[in-house]
Amino acid sequence: MSELLVPFEYNYMIKAMWVSALVGATCAFLSAYLMLKGWSLMGDALGHSIVPGVAGAYLLGLPYALGAFFAGMMAALGMAIVRQRSRLREDAVIGIVFTSFFAAGLLMISLYPTSVNVQTIVLGNILGIADEDAVQVVVIAAVSLAILLLKWRDLMVVFFDESHARIVGLDPTALKVLFFTLLAACTVAALQTVGACLVIAMVVTPGATAYLLTDRFGRLLALSVAIGSVTSFAGAYLSFFLDGATGGVIVSLQTALFVAAFLSAPKHGMLAARRRATTTREVTS
Amino acid sequence: MSVLWDFVALPLSYGFMQRALVVSILVGAVCAVLSCYLVLKGWSLMGDAVSHAVLPGIVLAYIAGLPLAAGAFAGGLACALLTGFFKENSRVKEDTVMGVVFSGMFGLGLVMFTKIETDQHLLHILFGNMLGVTAADLVEVGIVAGGTLLVVLLKRRDLLLYCFDPQHARAVGLPVRAIHYTLLVLLALSIVASLKAVGIILVVAMLVAPGAIAYLLTDRFERMLVIASAVAIGSSVLGTLLSFHIDGATGPCIVLLQAAVFLIAFLLAPRHGVLAGLRKPAGQAAGDLPRA
Repeated sequence: MSELLVPFEYNYMIKAMWVSALVGATCAFLSAYLMLKGWSLMGDALGHSIVPGVAGAYLLGLPYALGAFFAGMMAALGMAIVRQRSRLREDAVIGIVFTSFFAAGLLMISLYPTSVNVQTIVLGNILGIADEDAVQVVVIAAVSLAILLLKWRDLMVVFFDESHARIVGLDPTALKVLFFTLLAACTVAALQTVGACLVIAMVVTPGATAYLLTDRFGRLLALSVAIGSVTSFAGAYLSFFLDGATGGVIVSLQTALFVAAFLSAPKHGMLAARRRATTTREVTS
Repeated sequence: MSVLWDFVALPLSYGFMQRALVVSILVGAVCAVLSCYLVLKGWSLMGDAVSHAVLPGIVLAYIAGLPLAAGAFAGGLACALLTGFFKENSRVKEDTVMGVVFSGMFGLGLVMFTKIETDQHLLHILFGNMLGVTAADLVEVGIVAGGTLLVVLLKRRDLLLYCFDPQHARAVGLPVRAIHYTLLVLLALSIVASLKAVGIILVVAMLVAPGAIAYLLTDRFERMLVIASAVAIGSSVLGTLLSFHIDGATGPCIVLLQAAVFLIAFLLAPRHGVLAGLRKPAGQAAGDLPRA
């Protein structure tokens, strides 16, 4: 029994679990919106695009979050410009821009290998996070969460029905810019926790799971945040016993919950749908 | 002239550079041909999903003592099939399902990878290890890439019709479902072939950029295939040589060269480029032209 409490005896574990939970909660909040809009792969693209910013920031000795955020905004801008000005489809534009940014980051790291560890960027390293990086993550996540809590209704109105939003006096463009800024900020925070490749899970999976469990958006948000924070906390805790791969553990937990919801959600689960199909057949026959 | 000669000849005096060049050409060609279809079909990000999902397959194959390429192929295909299954049986959108499935598989792969004792380097799987390609690898890549290319070229008309207009393809009696899965299998195979060279993360670029570049430059599909292959092979060769001279990672060099070509095409393409769009009267901008 006492063995299970061992992680709580280490300061770095306690720090990792709370920071992960906070990041998980914020990302999960955003995931509810991303998923509804069909923008899931933007999360993946931003997660990869911020890598050159991180590498550059470490190289120049700047706060990593600053560089990451800058690169994320550049990538988003690049996608918007190419999308508007060429006849390529959105998915191809996203694919080209984020892989180019990512490649630039990798090249920088391979040319100046001492400045930063590529494994840390791609896979995250919340267990070994430096204090000043942890502070950046916490500040980003906390501020984003606060803004989301203030603006969640406005964002919901804009995402569901833009013309209605305009009628009630909201500014859809400003709110969308706000949303993408928050998304970029959260991918920066998530990069430290789960790494560039798994950021997408943090900003997609909790929302998708919650979407299978409820029809009310308020509840969807609450469920999603609960799933995100609990899985992140538990994932960091479990990774102590598995010797690392914190990001992998967190994401595996989130995916397991999604599969469970997919199979057995009361209304929208696959088993419920099968049961309904059989009952209807019995009734009609 | 002698500078140019040194640029090419010096790297080629090493065996590992010769092998790297051959592999990069093979991989570049097969990905380029496939990328033309993916760009038309709107499947660019399918490559992203399938490539990440090969990781657990590789780990499982290692544990079972099977060829890693077989495991990678199975992992990639499983991702595509699972995505389809989840989408058809729930109300979650396709892009979301795709994100959930491939990130989940990648995460699981990472966890398994840290739990097994292995001589494989995770970073080599993720980023490729072009300069460490062995003769045996070369044969394997050659077979996979050659087979994939052959099937694509033999079936190019069916695949094209399917990518353009699935309804029409069905109407003229093509086995649409079979073609759909053929395309997925080809995608997984080309990713498997690219693993050694560029790794699972940058293969996405190889599967998008050449097709997108060619799409900006021409309206004819046959020409698109040729342009895409030429761009991909050119950047592969030049990127590999360049990485030798600047002592940087090979995969990123290739991808960045492709990105540079894309940028040039985006700005200067004769009919569909930004500048051409500016010269035309308003209302007939580059984006308004009918698709190829």
